[in-house]
Amino acid sequence: MDNATTIFAEISGNIGTVGYGLAAIGPAIGVGIVVGKTIESVARQPELQGRLTVLMYIGIAFTEALAFIGIATYFFMTA
Amino acid sequence: MTTNQIMQRILLWGGILAAAVAVVGGIVGWLLAAGAGVASALVGTALAIVFCMLTAASILLAFKVSKGAMISGAFFGIVLGGWLLKFVLFIVLVFVLGDQDWLHRGVAFGALVAAVIGSLVIDCVVIMTSRQPTIDSDADDETQGRPASGARA
Repeated sequence: MDNATTIFAEISGNIGTVGYGLAAIGPAIGVGIVVGKTIESVARQPELQGRLTVLMYIGIAFTEALAFIGIATYFFMTA
Repeated sequence: MTTNQIMQRILLWGGILAAAVAVVGGIVGWLLAAGAGVASALVGTALAIVFCMLTAASILLAFKVSKGAMISGAFFGIVLGGWLLKFVLFIVLVFVLGDQDWLHRGVAFGALVAAVIGSLVIDCVVIMTSRQPTIDSDADDETQGRPASGARA
């Protein structure tokens, strides 16, 4: 019977690529929001550029940390 | 303290953290898997620290290239282009390393997670303890040389 369960059960290959995809979605959205909001803020108040750059950096650092751990999890935690 | 000085301090402390995680990870790795454990801890630490510190380095480079102007194509091209390049390299390296028989995956993963979390702690502490002025540049001359409105000619 060709239902959704059968089709999903037949998926083969490296499941790590799915993990990569999932690990990329969140940080991509996160970095997009962080950078977009920083541009918006600097356009409104250019004199705050220095402080906003540092805050943008820490936002990017936190979002990319999740991506690093997410991508590495599959490859390093399976035999 | 300017943005550049904060990024340089983050890079400096990141290097010290790398050494600390490598030593502790190396000892744990030696206890778990002898030479392979030490090598795995070094690989995990190097991966995490190099890739985490590349963001700070890219901001330093971007400021230099864009001559301090944040709203410019050069700045975001370098910071976000560097981010993309970094992830492509990271995935390729993890793909290659994942197939290596000598790698002790648990030790490498543990060192990587410890270094990533450690670098986040360093970022937070450096930024919290840095005394950055709210306004670090002179305000633009909004009248651009003309008399301000209300001023006498």
